[in-house]
Amino acid sequence: MTTILPECDIPIPQRKPHIVCHDPENIVLPMCNVQTVPGDMTERGCTFAGCRGVVGGPVKDAIQLVHGPIGCAYYTWGTRRNLSDTKLHRKYCFSTDLTEESVIYGGAKKLLNSIIESHELFPEGKAVFVYSTCVVGLIGDDTDSICKQAQEKIGIPVIPFHCEGFRGVSQSLGHHIANRTLFEKVVGTAEPQETTPYDMCIVGEFNIDGDAWIVKPLFERMGVRVLSVFTGNASYDDIPPMHRAKLNIVQCQRSSTYIAKMIQEKYGVPYINVSLFGMEQTAQALRDVGKFFHLEENAEKVIAEELAKYQPLIDHYRNKLDGKKCFIYQGAPRAWHWMGPMRELGIETILTATTFGHKDDYEKIMEKAKPGHICIDNPNALEIEEYLVKMKPDFFIGGLKEKYLTYKLGIPFINGHSYEEGPYAGFEGFVNFAKDIDVAVNSPVWKFINHPLEVR
Amino acid sequence: MTLMNESPASIKTVRKTRSVTINPPKMCQPMGAILAYMGVHGCVPLVHGSQGCSTYPRYNIARHFRESAEVAVSSLAEDAAVYGGAKNLTEAIKNVKSRLNPAAIGICTTCMSETIGDDVKLISKNALTPGDAMRIFPASTPSYVGTHLTGYDNALRTLVETLAVKGEPNNKINIITGIINPGDIREIKNMLRLMNVQSIFLSDISETLDTPILPGGHKPVLPDGGTSLSDIADSANSLGTLAICRSAGSAATSLMKKFNVPYAPDPAPIGVINTDRFVQNICKLSGAMIPDEIIKERGRLIDSLVDVHHYMYGKKVAIFGDPDLVSAIVRFCAEAGMNPTVAMTATKHKDFAPDIKAVNTEYKTDTQILEGTDLYEFHEVVKTHGAELILGNSKGKDIADDEGVPLVRFGFPVYDRVGVYRYSIMGYNGSIYLLDQMTNAILGHKYDPNKLHQ
Repeated sequence: MTTILPECDIPIPQRKPHIVCHDPENIVLPMCNVQTVPGDMTERGCTFAGCRGVVGGPVKDAIQLVHGPIGCAYYTWGTRRNLSDTKLHRKYCFSTDLTEESVIYGGAKKLLNSIIESHELFPEGKAVFVYSTCVVGLIGDDTDSICKQAQEKIGIPVIPFHCEGFRGVSQSLGHHIANRTLFEKVVGTAEPQETTPYDMCIVGEFNIDGDAWIVKPLFERMGVRVLSVFTGNASYDDIPPMHRAKLNIVQCQRSSTYIAKMIQEKYGVPYINVSLFGMEQTAQALRDVGKFFHLEENAEKVIAEELAKYQPLIDHYRNKLDGKKCFIYQGAPRAWHWMGPMRELGIETILTATTFGHKDDYEKIMEKAKPGHICIDNPNALEIEEYLVKMKPDFFIGGLKEKYLTYKLGIPFINGHSYEEGPYAGFEGFVNFAKDIDVAVNSPVWKFINHPLEVR
Repeated sequence: MTLMNESPASIKTVRKTRSVTINPPKMCQPMGAILAYMGVHGCVPLVHGSQGCSTYPRYNIARHFRESAEVAVSSLAEDAAVYGGAKNLTEAIKNVKSRLNPAAIGICTTCMSETIGDDVKLISKNALTPGDAMRIFPASTPSYVGTHLTGYDNALRTLVETLAVKGEPNNKINIITGIINPGDIREIKNMLRLMNVQSIFLSDISETLDTPILPGGHKPVLPDGGTSLSDIADSANSLGTLAICRSAGSAATSLMKKFNVPYAPDPAPIGVINTDRFVQNICKLSGAMIPDEIIKERGRLIDSLVDVHHYMYGKKVAIFGDPDLVSAIVRFCAEAGMNPTVAMTATKHKDFAPDIKAVNTEYKTDTQILEGTDLYEFHEVVKTHGAELILGNSKGKDIADDEGVPLVRFGFPVYDRVGVYRYSIMGYNGSIYLLDQMTNAILGHKYDPNKLHQ
């Protein structure tokens, strides 16, 4: 038996297939992408979160208008650290702020007025993204036709996203909806001003804490022209010409492979998967891209320059971190993105977990896992606590919601969703990553955890 | 108990005329309801809605208090939209109960469960077996009505109405806190201790959302602290109820109507006069005398006001946040000789404008009152009426930066500074702290250092 039922789950044995102890002789993947057990204290969010928060939200010059009661807009206002070089998308929060009256009589008029007013107040907005929340789906506002009407009136694209929170089982469906909507309604609606034989899009890179600002120049130094980043620090105008890329590379392979596939199917643009975390994986990504564009020498030159600059720093941190054991709990891809880089620092990942991983995410985890590695799908607070206490990792990389639970148990923690002091991507980012692990693990604060006050 | 407020006949307030809301300093009901439940000992909040409805409030609690905030959710999905959410809620109650064995489960509804029309009271009742020790609070908190404060109010009233039972007089005073910080609650408790008055806090997050790391283990999922169910039940037998936050006063009204517990709906105890009223109310309700230590604390606040009046006189200050806190701070700023130019709240409350108007009459100030509007409008009014200091939560950062003035943080959420939740801005001591924060913000911002040597 490779699935496990932890003690806290004895009353809810449905959780058993979701928790796996890795056995290379008998590989079993955790059950995934299914409904959460109600009341299990899940860490999951909703479809709206995946659409508005992850994929659509980073587009810096779109007015991000949330159609629904106030909460959903407020909670996604500047929270995820998807940085940009302009302020509109993080400084402002737009909501139709639906109240009881709209729930009874419909929110169509309020939505139409809100789109028009937002455009009038913020003419710098190049498009309006309209996100539907739970109640909109239930009361049945015809957001498609309202957006169409508004678009005719204001003359800029108004894009409806049908991302009601109750759809699907997690954030994951929201990613898919955002991809499909942007592909169907935006990609191909404009041609690039010019094309070159070296045009490429970086897909599934959301510029968390500036990741895109680290990785984009690496490819540019190789002689590749980055046509668009989907969607980190992206302008709305960057999305329409994506179909003219010669190659797409996909970093977040959970949230964004959808659009790479759709572009491949419709426009014949190939895509390759990359991991832009860690020295080896980033170098591999540069080599793969170099090979595609026949820029192998350029790739090697950039890699050599970066390694010369940053490898000594990584070696320094490896000396301090060698032999440590960690847990990684992320949305999905960063769980397996980071298993390899951890080994570059001498760290073994003894437990991985993902909030909304699919089968392919867990396959990638198992490819990298050692025997005895624990893998949890859609973990909940009690499971996380139980495994932290039982396995005592040297540190845990998770999200803000798990941070303080972990601290209270006296275990070092790193925020892997929005980072501590990122960026973490690319060669340079990996130094920040290593440094943050060093700070977490080697801070003197932990010595006080079990240091009682005694009168001797 | 009589109201000390007298409303001026006509009050001019600015209300938003736009359809679109831009930069709202307000959240939805489940957010507040969760905070109310987190102040109850052994109570697990359970959100009946989509998964975002628990995740987002948890995120906000975690970043403000820097504490773990564990909340259950019924994980409603498409099938619930068609068939209703009873199955999910029943299973969620069962699972929370069997795994955590809590004293209680505090349910809050959402826009989804309210729109599909689940009868949460009935579902909760059916989920309990006869003789069950666990209690369930079925609060109705639709996200499309009111704000986070409405949710706090509804959850608190549901708590009290579910538990309160008439018994022997307990000689205690009920304190309705509203959404304030652990530091505030500890300061109020300290004052009551000095006055030798017993109390029941409705509710009390001072320990559950400010937990120590103790040697030998910790229970992060269900932390110690909070008001016990038996104390909440006993609130029917108290000498009276004081509401620090009148927006959360419906529990007090309910106790008054059902159990004749007197209710003093006074402003929040911030500044000299408002804290005086709080102390006077405690004395009136309990018969307590004002101890010397309280007199000294009050004297230190007055000493602090005297020390800084040259710096503060006439300084323009714009304030936004929850209505009870904002109106009390407006009065305190006026007491300090400042000029409160703009006062804004997103949550409407009948006392907000009259409170501020009374300050304006008394101190000859002219505060622009904004109610039920957003920070976009607040910013526009700040531009026209001026501000040398802004008081509000972390959402005021961009406005303060744009205006080139300092922001002193209070309220919820404050996520871009540490420790704000630890300190009190209430009572005489808390007011001193707030005054010092405001003064130091002004002195630290483009103030000629040559003027600060003596």
